[in-house]
Amino acid sequence: MWLRFMKPWGLRPRGEKWKGRLQSLLALQPLRLASGCRPPSVTARALVNHWAQLFEERGVPEARESSEYIVAHVLGAKTFQSLSASQRCAPITDLQQEQIGELCTRRLQRMPVQYVIGEWDFQGLTLKMTPPVFIPRPETEELVNLVLHEQSQRCQEFRRKRTLAHQSHSWPLILDVCCGSGAIALSLLSKLTQSRVVAVDKGEEAVQLTRENAQRLHLEDRIQIVRHDITSGVNREQLLPWGPVDFVVSNPPYIFHCDMAQLAPEILSYEDTDSLDGGENGMSVIREILSQAPMLLKDSGSIFLEVDPRHPELVEKWLQSHPDLGLSLLATHVDFCGKPRFLHIHKSRDPGSRRTQNV
Amino acid sequence: MNTLGSTSLPASLGRFSRGLWGLWLWKKPVFLFPRMGMRAQVTGKTDAHNLLPLNERDLEEQFVKGHGPGGQATNKTSNCVVLKHIPSGIVVKCHQTRSVDQNRKLAREILQGKVDLFYRGEDSHLHKVRKEAEKKKRERKKKAKETLEKKRLLKELMLTEPSPKAPL
Repeated sequence: MWLRFMKPWGLRPRGEKWKGRLQSLLALQPLRLASGCRPPSVTARALVNHWAQLFEERGVPEARESSEYIVAHVLGAKTFQSLSASQRCAPITDLQQEQIGELCTRRLQRMPVQYVIGEWDFQGLTLKMTPPVFIPRPETEELVNLVLHEQSQRCQEFRRKRTLAHQSHSWPLILDVCCGSGAIALSLLSKLTQSRVVAVDKGEEAVQLTRENAQRLHLEDRIQIVRHDITSGVNREQLLPWGPVDFVVSNPPYIFHCDMAQLAPEILSYEDTDSLDGGENGMSVIREILSQAPMLLKDSGSIFLEVDPRHPELVEKWLQSHPDLGLSLLATHVDFCGKPRFLHIHKSRDPGSRRTQNV
Repeated sequence: MNTLGSTSLPASLGRFSRGLWGLWLWKKPVFLFPRMGMRAQVTGKTDAHNLLPLNERDLEEQFVKGHGPGGQATNKTSNCVVLKHIPSGIVVKCHQTRSVDQNRKLAREILQGKVDLFYRGEDSHLHKVRKEAEKKKRERKKKAKETLEKKRLLKELMLTEPSPKAPL
């Protein structure tokens, strides 16, 4: 058992940006365990129970899940359920116990589990996670599935028509705006083996993390990562190194500014608020992407966006009031909780050539 | 404390609550459910063994309740998936990975094996795999027993023989 003193560096005033705090975050001060924390025995199951109880007492949400993920991670597994029964009952070494203790202490300070263990899974890939880069949400996996489905439909259609154009459709070009940790870009690259992606983010940490994740997954040869703030205007040279794209895909900041203050401490204190705050009505970045999309997309191209459930109506109205963009909302898709979450937008076509909604 | 709950669907879409991953064209705006792969059927991973296909319409999926506003506004890590095959009543719980998408796929694979076992009994792939494993285990035990017996005989033989004389 070790004795250390706790320095509350984790929680900071709301509204203050995280940037520049990485050093202090990593230079963890010595910590002191609360009294009576010595676990009765040293099996994985016992440790999970011990820390889950402590988390619950301290008001840490998802007490059991957090405890399970941390213990499993130290034991080299992704989830507690994936450990065998014998692994769960085997004795934990002193070193492992110390590692678990350190990680759990960070969780006690409301650090998101993904930052505590430094990684998370997305669409079958394991990605490195570091604050303040936005943590990919489970809903966004469905955004990737939508793009994959659309790509598959296109390939089938062109194969049926037996046009030469089908050739280029086998090598889709994708632009991922506000790429964060690179979750969307890299999962598309790994599933579409002939694709190429331009990943854009305004944050330096996001660009670096995407680069690192691309290298870890050996996908760096098919991705270009660009640091660019799309709200500063179109930059075709930077965004289109390979020409106009087949897909613009984005999980842009879409939270309504007035809702920002209600976010959990895990989010407000550790994630970059710029990756969440969508301004008034959560539309500021969405509007920018839609305004620039006609210049970035091929005529047959599609835009896939993740949005707030209130946005489908707002976006449809906005597109109708900007007919010069020539974009229309083709479909709205729900997430696994049944909330309208994803928009499929394309360049308006004349009624004669409109594709049936048979996706 | 999280409890399991059904995915929340608008009341007007209630009749589509089964088979969440089918495609439903309703009225504008078109609300499309998440799709699993490109097919409405789950075909077996081990297609060579011809597992009974599962129809998405026969499946009911549950995620952990209390997801809050969802999306960017929430950071929940409870990615456990509970999948039920309605006709047989078989339920599978999967939390093998930290990805909801992966857990959904795995849950379907596991459920497909169990449903195949349920309907095909002795003809099912799972049943055959288990039988094969039991057979191998019996053979290993038998071999181990034989080896032990041989060693015992050899030991007895060595004890009854006179000990070799030391060389001069």
